[in-house]
Amino acid sequence: MLELPARTRTPLESAYRRPIALLVAVAATAYALPASAIPVFNRQTGQNCQACHAGGQYPELTPYGRMFKLTGYTIGRRTDVPLAMMALASVSSVRNTSKSDDPSADFSKNDRVVLASASLFAGGRITDNLGAFVQYTYDPYASQDASGKYHGHAAADNMDIRYADRLVGSGHDLVFGVSANNNPSVADPWNTAAAWMQYVPVPSPSSSQFIDGATPYPGYGVGGNTSGLTAYAFLDEHLYLEAGAYRSSRGVLAFMKLGQPTSGLTRLQGNAPYVRAAWNVAWGASTLMIGGSTMRSRVYDDPSVADPGTLHRFRDSSIDAQYQWLLDPHALTLQAVATRQQHRYPDFLIGQVPAYVDPQGGALPPSSPSDVLRLLRAKASYTWRATYGGGMSYFDLSGTTNSLNQSSGYDPLTGTITTATSAAAPSTRVNGNLTGNPRTTGETLEAYWLPWQNLRVGAQYTFYQRYNGSARNYDGFGRNASDNDSLFVYAWFAY
Amino acid sequence: MKPLFSIAWLTCTVLLSGCADPSRSRALGDPKVTGQALAEQVCSNCHGQRGLSSSENFPHLAAQQADYIDAQLRSLRDKHRRDPAGSVYMWGIARDLTDAQIAQLAAYYAAQPAAAAAPAALAEPRAGRQLFTEGSAEHGVPACAGCHGDRGQGNGGIPRLAHQQRAYLLRQLAVLRSSPDDRPMGALMNAVAHKLSDDDMRALADYLPTM
Repeated sequence: MLELPARTRTPLESAYRRPIALLVAVAATAYALPASAIPVFNRQTGQNCQACHAGGQYPELTPYGRMFKLTGYTIGRRTDVPLAMMALASVSSVRNTSKSDDPSADFSKNDRVVLASASLFAGGRITDNLGAFVQYTYDPYASQDASGKYHGHAAADNMDIRYADRLVGSGHDLVFGVSANNNPSVADPWNTAAAWMQYVPVPSPSSSQFIDGATPYPGYGVGGNTSGLTAYAFLDEHLYLEAGAYRSSRGVLAFMKLGQPTSGLTRLQGNAPYVRAAWNVAWGASTLMIGGSTMRSRVYDDPSVADPGTLHRFRDSSIDAQYQWLLDPHALTLQAVATRQQHRYPDFLIGQVPAYVDPQGGALPPSSPSDVLRLLRAKASYTWRATYGGGMSYFDLSGTTNSLNQSSGYDPLTGTITTATSAAAPSTRVNGNLTGNPRTTGETLEAYWLPWQNLRVGAQYTFYQRYNGSARNYDGFGRNASDNDSLFVYAWFAY
Repeated sequence: MKPLFSIAWLTCTVLLSGCADPSRSRALGDPKVTGQALAEQVCSNCHGQRGLSSSENFPHLAAQQADYIDAQLRSLRDKHRRDPAGSVYMWGIARDLTDAQIAQLAAYYAAQPAAAAAPAALAEPRAGRQLFTEGSAEHGVPACAGCHGDRGQGNGGIPRLAHQQRAYLLRQLAVLRSSPDDRPMGALMNAVAHKLSDDDMRALADYLPTM
């Protein structure tokens, strides 16, 4: 662990000096590595990262990278040791940590450099038609015991094992295949797909709860660590179609949830169908994709109990677009995604009278039978010479108001908003939601440096205009959305 | 039903893996894979099917001179060609090519129909045409057509320039002017390129795709 000992410091010192010391150390280590120190796909093809990743920044794929993926990771020669790793060291600094009952819990590891996560990858070419991308991730802060001590845990992350073929005929070019994967859209070749739009892993200490990686991103009701089988085709590098179904990981595919605690799993009833379509065009140095996806799923409320009376029903749909302008030494990517999720609750959660009351002591509206969530997310990034880059993104999560989603409110006994455990309806500070509305909006600015293709050093700053439904006093304890503004400095290393 | 789902993918992959066809292989380092298979399955990802690139970041290879392609691939395989685009994208792809595969790739692309002429920009690319056909006596620049052919078709080890991607032409002219050792026969072209101004290069790059 890279955590440094505590000392007396100002927030400014904490936010900048320690990351710089760490990043210099990591950079020095990276420079000392031989030029062949590259991850498994690079070793397989012998190419630089930027052949597959726009401007060398993982995971944004270039047109070539998309074809490498769609043809089953089979380009090149099979490597002797098909393994690679990546690690993320980071520091997070939340703008305001004062409005908290317990800062050590609410903002644990704030201003401290941590080894945020580490992944082991296995994959690449297996046969002429078979290839894999398998990620297994260690989270040093996966759980916290009663004393506040963190415990690490490793578990299955993204997995995509696929068969692919390519038919080139008179005037047509068809890439097709089947993918066994554990996360809807992980087989998708565009980085507006829910599984791939987020590009820096999210460290779990609570000080990182407001960084960009923890802001609203596209997703599906089924979540990850399920087992999916999808078939896909890409015709003439224009039309992409993918369809399949996901269900709970078990049997021979149980490895797709390896290491995940039951409480963290999604347990599905039956098959959850997934359909994706996209249209891609290329001209000059540009490529443009416009597409969409839809999915339906039925998820048990408690993954340990398969009770049909506890099913949540999700209908997810999205439209997405990506434009890339890749002309060495420039790499520009523009992305936009709009998603809609309809969530129908199981009967036992519908019409429930909340424990909280209104300021006059009256009852709040009963919980709604369903919610609708809408997310708009857009991002622009630019990298020069695969070395210096930056980006900006915008997120806007909106949806229906539902008293079921309140986690703060007036206690019926005292008529106050209180965190006291003795209260009939204790509230939540920092993460609380006083309104029952999910509205969260903001922006992230980022700058990064890739001194070596194995290393990326970056700084992000995320601004919030609204959080959990409000700009001001969203938790009932006076915390404003802007109090959550966060600095995130990181060093990402892959070998 | 549940067991069917669990074993469906395994069954498919086991059965389909047995159908591997070298004519559709993407293996680099397998001498049994033909140049045409590599062209269709691998090279096409950047250079387009039949050598017609859809990205101006990568050159058209269709109708390129076979000797030129052969020489470039050998040079990339042996890491003698060191311009950034060559090392980033091509060293890995070329590292395991056999002489036979290189010859097959060269013959394949040389036999493909050339890219169509690009539409001319708003202004008539007169300056580029003049440089290409007549050179510049004032600056001691010989006519490009003298070596590359009056239609820019190339000649043996001298590459075809006609209808090439504009951005690729500009980048390679810059390499030949400033880093001639990064390309085979770079010194030969450096004698010309170092006399070209930025405007001259742009004029040529505007004209050659449209000629």
